[in-house]
Amino acid sequence: MFTIDSVQKIQDMARGAVFLGAGGGGDPYVGELFLRQQLTEGRHAKIIDATELADDAFVVVMAGMGAPNVLVEHLVSKVALMRLFEHAEKYYGRKVDALISGEIGGANSVFPVALGAQMGVPVIDGDGMGRAFPRIEMTTFSIFGVKATPAFVMDESGNFVSFDIINDHLAEDVMRSVCAALGSMVYGIFFQMTGAQAKKVAVLGTISQSMEIGRTIREARDHCDDPFEGLLKYLNDPGTGRYARVLYDGKIVDVTHEIRDGWHWGKATIGNSTGEDDRFVIEIQNEYIVARRNGRTVAVVPDLIIVLDAETAEPLTAEMLIYGQRVRVIGYSAADKLRLPESLAVCGPRMFGLNEDFVPVEQLV
Amino acid sequence: MSKIRLGIDVGGTNTDGVLMSGNKVLASKKSFTTADIGGGVISAVTGLLESSRIQPSDIGSVMIGTTQFVNAFLQRKHLSEVAVIRISLPKSDGVPPMVAWPDDLRSIIGSNIYMVRGGSFFHGVEYAPLDVDELDKVARDIRQKGLTSVVITSNFAPVRPDIEERAAVIVRKYLPDVDITLSYQVGGLGLVDRENAAIINGALAQLSRKVVTSLVAAFENVRIKAPIYISQNDGTLITTGHAQRFPIFTCSAGPTNSIRGAAFLTGLQEAVVADIGGTTTDIGFLLRGFPRETATANYIGGVRTNFRMPDVLSIALGGGTIVRETPKGITLGPDSVGYQLQDKGMVFGGDVLTTTDIAVRAGQALLGDPARVSGIPDALVNGVLNALHKKIEDAIDQMKTNSRPVPVVLVGGGSILVSRPLQGASRVYQPEHAEVANAIGAAIALVSGRVDRLFDVGTLGREGALAQAKDEAVKAAIGAGASPESVEIVDVIELPMTHMKTGTVQIKVRAVGNLAVA
Repeated sequence: MFTIDSVQKIQDMARGAVFLGAGGGGDPYVGELFLRQQLTEGRHAKIIDATELADDAFVVVMAGMGAPNVLVEHLVSKVALMRLFEHAEKYYGRKVDALISGEIGGANSVFPVALGAQMGVPVIDGDGMGRAFPRIEMTTFSIFGVKATPAFVMDESGNFVSFDIINDHLAEDVMRSVCAALGSMVYGIFFQMTGAQAKKVAVLGTISQSMEIGRTIREARDHCDDPFEGLLKYLNDPGTGRYARVLYDGKIVDVTHEIRDGWHWGKATIGNSTGEDDRFVIEIQNEYIVARRNGRTVAVVPDLIIVLDAETAEPLTAEMLIYGQRVRVIGYSAADKLRLPESLAVCGPRMFGLNEDFVPVEQLV
Repeated sequence: MSKIRLGIDVGGTNTDGVLMSGNKVLASKKSFTTADIGGGVISAVTGLLESSRIQPSDIGSVMIGTTQFVNAFLQRKHLSEVAVIRISLPKSDGVPPMVAWPDDLRSIIGSNIYMVRGGSFFHGVEYAPLDVDELDKVARDIRQKGLTSVVITSNFAPVRPDIEERAAVIVRKYLPDVDITLSYQVGGLGLVDRENAAIINGALAQLSRKVVTSLVAAFENVRIKAPIYISQNDGTLITTGHAQRFPIFTCSAGPTNSIRGAAFLTGLQEAVVADIGGTTTDIGFLLRGFPRETATANYIGGVRTNFRMPDVLSIALGGGTIVRETPKGITLGPDSVGYQLQDKGMVFGGDVLTTTDIAVRAGQALLGDPARVSGIPDALVNGVLNALHKKIEDAIDQMKTNSRPVPVVLVGGGSILVSRPLQGASRVYQPEHAEVANAIGAAIALVSGRVDRLFDVGTLGREGALAQAKDEAVKAAIGAGASPESVEIVDVIELPMTHMKTGTVQIKVRAVGNLAVA
C-alpha cells in the first residue's frame, strides 16, 4: 500500500500515463488537476496491491467517457462523482471495497485515483489494459470473462442511465450514443467483479509502473542524466519479464492527421541523418498501432509503441507529433495477458485492419 | 504627403524608436527604458524628432510594442487582487479556479473564488440557467471585500458568450467601476487555460491603466496628437483603450514585432527569423507575413494558458555565450556573460572567452581590440564556428514545417556570429536596420479580427459554417479599426471533435487589414 501525497507524485503518474497511452488515451490534464485539488483539500489517494484485497471484496471500474474537447470545458464535478459512487453501492446492492482503472494510458488513469481519494476508498494498483485502447471490449476484464455491464453512466445534471447489454462490443456502441445525447461527456461505473477476479483478470502494478516511469524521466532531467538510460533500465527490469528497446532515433520528416468516424487516423514518418533510404513509419489509430522500418514491421499492437522527445524524453501523444521534432521511439512488450491468443483476437493487429499477425517486439528487433 | 508613422518598442532594457514614411525608415534611435516608461519614450521620441527634423504634427500614427505587462507578471510586481466568478455548476466543481497556480501568485492574486450555477453544452444549449440570485450575492460580497478586478468565466463561453455578458451586467449593477474580464474575450476552448488567461488579465488591470496613461501622457508631452496603438501578440494593433482592458494580448509582442520587422526589411512572406541577442537566440517562423503561432499550451510565469503566442524556439546561444575547452571537446554555454560582455569579453579587456571573441578572431566583426584574441588557435576558432552554426541550423530545422530550404533572416546584435551559409537556408539575409527590427515591426502593424468556436456543420453545412466563421472574423477586424476594403482572411483551421461522431467542428479564423486611419 502507498499513498499519492505530493504534487510531484501526481505529475509523475500523469507523465507515466501518457507514456503508457502509446500515443492515445487522452490528455490526463483535467484528472491531474482534480487530483491536485484533492491533495489541496488534504485527501491522499491510497493505492493497494491486489494481494491486499480479500477474494470476496467488491471491485468496480470508474471511468469517464466522451470527447476530449468537451472534457476540457466541463472539467469534472466532485459532487457528481460522489453521487456516482453512492449510486454504485445502491445499484449493485453492495459496498464498494476498491476501485480500479479501466485504462492506465491517458486520462482514465487518474480519475479513479482522484475518486478514491475523495471517497476514502482504496484503488488497486492495476488496470484493464496496461496501455490505452479505444474500446471497452479491449480490456483484459472483458477478454477474461468479466462483463462491462450491468453498468451505468451519469452526468452532473442528475441523469443516470443503466445498461445491461449482451456483449461488451455492443455495450461500447450503446453507451457512446447515450453519451452523445448527454452532451458528450459522462462518467460511469463498469465491470463489477470480486477481489479474486480482479487479481486474475487485471494487468497488475500499472499505477506504480506509471509513477516509476514519470519519476525516472524527472530525476534524469534533474540530474542532467540521459533519461533514456534510466527508462530502459527500468522497463527491462528482469523482475517484470518485460522487454523494451529504442527502435529508432531520428527526426519527423512527414506527419499526417485525419479525423474519420470520430477517430484520429494518421501516419508519422521519421528519418535520420544517415541517409534518405532509412525510413521509420508509425501508423496511428488513436494510438500508435504499428511501426515499420523500411517496410518491415518492428513493433505492432498490442505491444506498445512510444514516441518521446529525443532530448527530454517527454512522451508525445499522436496529436502532438509535428514535422521537425527530434524523437526516439521505444518498443515495449505488452503485458503478458494481452499477448495471449484470446487477447490477440480482440486487440491484435487484425482488429485494427492490419494484414499481419502479432509477433512479439523482442523477435522483431 | 502621407503621414509619418512612429514605431516604439519598450523592452526591459532598451526603448527603441523608428520613424517611417511608407516603406522608408527615416530615422531610428535606441534609448534606455525608464521605470516610469514615459521617460524612456520621451527621450527616444525627442531624439528621433531632432535627428530627422520632423515636426510632431507630421506624425499620423503611433504604434507601441511593450513587454511591461509580461515582465510584471513574471516578476510578480504591481499585480491586483482578483475576484473570480465561474459559471459552471453543477459541472466542474472538482477543479476550481487556480488549482495549479504557483503559491506566490495565489498569495498576491488571492483566493476570492465564486462558483455559480449555469453554463452551456458544446452545441450551445444551456444545461442549467444562470443563477441570477446567487450572482447578486456574489457581487455584494465582492463589493464588501473592496476588490477592483473581476473575472467571469463560463462553460463553453466561446459558443455562448452571452452568458458571461449577462453576468457582467449583473455584476456592474453593484460594482459600476471595477475592471471586468470575460473569459470568451481572451481565449478559445479549454476552460482552465482560458480562465487562467482571464485571471492574468484581471491581475494586470490596474497596472495596464497606469502604463497606458503614462504612455499617452508621454506623447502629449512631446506634442504628438496622433492616435496611439499598441501591438499585440499576433503582430496586429489594438487601441490604447483596448490594450488597457486586455494587457494579456500584448504579452509576447516583442518577438512578434521582431519577426514582422524582419519580414518588412526583407520583403519576405515566408522565412525563418533568428533574433540573436547576447544570451539567447529566438527563432520564429514567418508565415504569410505573420509569425506562426504555437499549437500547444503556453506557460506564463508558471501558469498554463491557451491564448495565441508566436511559436518561438529559444536556444542558449548569443554574443555573450561562454566558450570552454573540455576533455570532451569544445562547449558553448549554456551560460553567457550577457550584458557584461563589454567588461568580460576578451576583446574588451576581460578574461572570459565568448562567441563574440571568436567572431572577432575569425575576422567576422571588428569590435574592441582584435590583438587581444590573435593568439587563439585556428582549430579552436573553427571548432566554435562549426558548433555554433550547427546549433543554429538544428534550431532552424526544428522550426521548419518541411525539409524544403527557406530563407533565413538574421536580426539582433549577435548576428555577427554567423558567417557561413546555413544548411537548410535557401539564402541568409542580414538587412540594414536589423537592430531596431522590433520597433519597425510595431510601426508596420496591421489590425486583425478572430473567431475560435464550435460550429454546427450538421445544420450549416461545411461551406456555410466556414463562410459564417470568416464573416465573423472580418467583422471583428473592421470593428478593431481595419479599413473594410483591405481585410483579408489569413488563417483558417478546422478541428473536428474526436471520440464522438457529431456534426460539430471547431473553426478558427483570423482576418487582417490595414489600419483605417493610417
